[in-house]
Parts: sequence; structure tokens; C-alpha cells
Amino acid sequence: MAKPVVIVVGADKGGVGKTTVSRTLLDYFSANNVPTRAFDTESPRGTLKRFHPEATEIVDMTATADQMKIFDTLNAASPSVTVIDVRAGLLSPSLAALRDIGFLDAAKSGQITFAVFHILGPSIASLDEIAETANFMVGAKYFLVKNFINNTSFFEWDQATYNSYFHRIKDATEITIPKLNEMAFEQVEVASVPFLKFVANKGTHDEAANYSFVLRGYVRHWLANVWSEFDRIKLTDLVGSGKGGARGGEK
Amino acid sequence: MRITPVYIICSPRPLVGRTLIARQLSEFLLLKNGTVVAFDINLKEPSLLEYLPNITETAEVDDTFGKMALMDRIIINDTVAKVLDLGFHAFDEFFKMADEIGFMKEAARRGVAPVILFVADTDRVSVRGYDMLRELIPKTALITIDNEHVVRGELPAAMAEGRVLRIAALPAFLKTYVDRLNFSFTGYLRGEKDSSTELHQWIRRNYLSFRELELSLILQRS
Repeated sequence: MAKPVVIVVGADKGGVGKTTVSRTLLDYFSANNVPTRAFDTESPRGTLKRFHPEATEIVDMTATADQMKIFDTLNAASPSVTVIDVRAGLLSPSLAALRDIGFLDAAKSGQITFAVFHILGPSIASLDEIAETANFMVGAKYFLVKNFINNTSFFEWDQATYNSYFHRIKDATEITIPKLNEMAFEQVEVASVPFLKFVANKGTHDEAANYSFVLRGYVRHWLANVWSEFDRIKLTDLVGSGKGGARGGEK
Repeated sequence: MRITPVYIICSPRPLVGRTLIARQLSEFLLLKNGTVVAFDINLKEPSLLEYLPNITETAEVDDTFGKMALMDRIIINDTVAKVLDLGFHAFDEFFKMADEIGFMKEAARRGVAPVILFVADTDRVSVRGYDMLRELIPKTALITIDNEHVVRGELPAAMAEGRVLRIAALPAFLKTYVDRLNFSFTGYLRGEKDSSTELHQWIRRNYLSFRELELSLILQRS
């Protein structure tokens, strides 16, 4: 039986695109036929749930009952991948909670595959976050995500400063999420559908929609670039599903 | 399967005769099909809109709204031929966007047939522009317009390799005549009884070239 995989997407800063990255991950796994479930910690109303209502459950990461709901079902649940979209400001506390319940030790001993997508903001606070998060990263795959979707300009200060933080974590991998045309992004928001459905011109219930060809083109191009980053880090290998060939979304 | 041709007349250089060709092609399609929609993306030069206001709409590709308004129209397979007079200032942005949104692929899927009519010149900007198009556009959809009035000699080697459509130069006095805003190519053919005049033959020759172009399009699709 394949090891359960837990992917945490988070940042201690708000508005850096955590949910957007979570959405691209769910689309990516869906296109690669990897069964995935998601937890949205923006309790009581989650943004991720709005886009992926069937795969997503809203939880409160600080509540023991919800922690049990997520982690006690890892082996029992049929989807092999669990994506957790962690609310702003809760990344470090969540990692601390995972350490306390012995989850990080399980990851360290190889019983669970654990990956963290740390979405970076443009401020020096993000670098401090890296240092703080680094303490929990033993046994985990750590991805530092530079998200340009909202036109962030990163690390305009000395690159050496950034490197000094970055290199504190052994084997951390950088991922770049490119910018998406603002109007295209806005239209997907309005449509409240996964990026994949938007590209395929489908509505919430798979009914034919009438999105702009131009905007769908921009989203398709952008999503392909994001997925090529996921391919580069061999994300499907990480979840034990290194399949070749065309993806569902590329047909 | 019914197809909708979309003729994109373009050059990265100004004043190469692009609007003249767009006018003629639009009038030819109107004569032959009874309908055509032209788009003027060319507001900084003598404009197609001024010559053919009844069938021309303005369009722009400077912002996403403009791109949507244009591309969402020309991707529809409604069998009405479209002519785009793509101004030199919009050349790079248009093809960059077309590549990003997968225009050629989607067009093929929907039965829309884009034909890129690249108006040649011998300068470096034109050569570079043509090279870019060769990367993005299938060979069968890229046609070089050899406007004798502009090129006056050999085409650059790369442009001569593909399909070429030649437009002969007109004497200066006739050029001035056809450049009048109220001049109509089809109107001239209908009104001028003497078919041996230079202008009559020039227009007929160009219409014949357009006819061949259209036929080759149908043959490619069949």
C-alpha cells in the first residue's frame, strides 16, 4: 500500500496566494489521476472549498477534533494525497501542533510523506518565516514558493541576505508561480470553478459555459507553466505516481 | 466541414501597403461572398475604417478588454470571412498573445482558418518579424506579400522560401487615384468599360491571386 502523502500549503502572511497554489495542486493531481482530498482551514468559510467543493472539507486546525479528522484518517482514507490549505498566520502553530502529535516524527521515520509548500511574500518577514519554519523541516520536503500571481516583486534587497536564509534549510527547493493575467484571474474567481474547468469551458456542474476564449487561453498557458514547475520538482514521484504520457487537462 | 477564413495582414513596419491590401481583399471577399467583417487595428496610420466604414470595426490589442473583444469574435466559425489590418505597433503584442492563448490550435479545432499575410520589406525589423512568425505559424498559413512598390527587387531569402503573393507596383498617378477615400476597387471594375486599362488589369490580377489563395485554403482543408 502506498504511503499517505500530506502536503501543507501555508505562510504566516496573508494575501500571498496560498489558496491559489492549493488550487493548482488539486488541479494538477486531478489531471494526473491522483486521488486527492483537501482541507481548508479558513474556518468557518473556506475559499478553497468554493472552488473544489467535492474534494474539500473545512476544518479548524487548532481544534483537536479536526486534527483527528485529518491525521487519524490518513491511512484509512482512500485518496492517497491530502492537501491542507493553512490559514494565514497558522503555518508555524500548525507545524508545532504536528510536531506535538508525533506527525513530524512519523514523517522523519518514513511512514508518511510530508511536504510543505511555503508561499513567500515580498517582505523581510517572509525570510524570518523561513528561518522559523526550518526548525520543523527535518524529514519533510520543503518547497519555497515565489508566487508572482499578484505581481509581487521579490527580494529587491541584497540577494545574499535571501540566500543566507534560504541555505539554512538543507534540500529546500524553490518554485516559481508566474503571473496570471489579472482579468483572467478575476474571471475564474467569479466563475468559482477549478482552473481546469475554466480552461475546458465548463461550469460548476460540468455544464457548458461561455468564458472568453482569450481568458481561457491565458489560464491554460499559465497553468501549463505552473504544472511544468510541479513536473520539475517531480511532484508525482513524491506521491508515488510517476506516470508518463498526456495528462487529462492537456488533451 | 465549413470553414471561416481569417486573413491577418501584418508587418512590423509602417507604410508598406498593408491597408491597401486589406482594402482590396475586403472588397474582393465582399464581392464574392456578399459579406465580410474587417477589423482595423491600425489607428496610427491611414486607416481601413476610413475607406470601408460599412464593414470595418476598430479593434485594439493594448489591453485584455480589447484582446477579448477581437479574439472572441474571430475565433467563431460562422463562415463569414474576417480581414484584420494589423498595424505595425500591434504586431509583436498580437502574435505574442495569439501564441500564449493557443490561437492557431484552437482555430484549427473549430474550423477557423487563419492566414497570415506578411507584407515584406527588406529591413532588419521585417526579417526579424518574419522569423518570429515562422516559429509560431504553420508554413501553410504564412504567406509573404511581395509588394513591388515596397520591396523593389529580391525578397530576403527566408521570405522567398515560403509561399509568395506578388502585388505589382502601380504608377504614381494611379497610386494617388486608388488612395482616395472614396475609391472602390470593385466599383472601378464595374464602372470602367475598358478592361484593358492598367488599373483594371492590376485589380483583376490581384483579385485572381486572392481567388487562388482562397482555393488553396479550401484544398488544404479537404
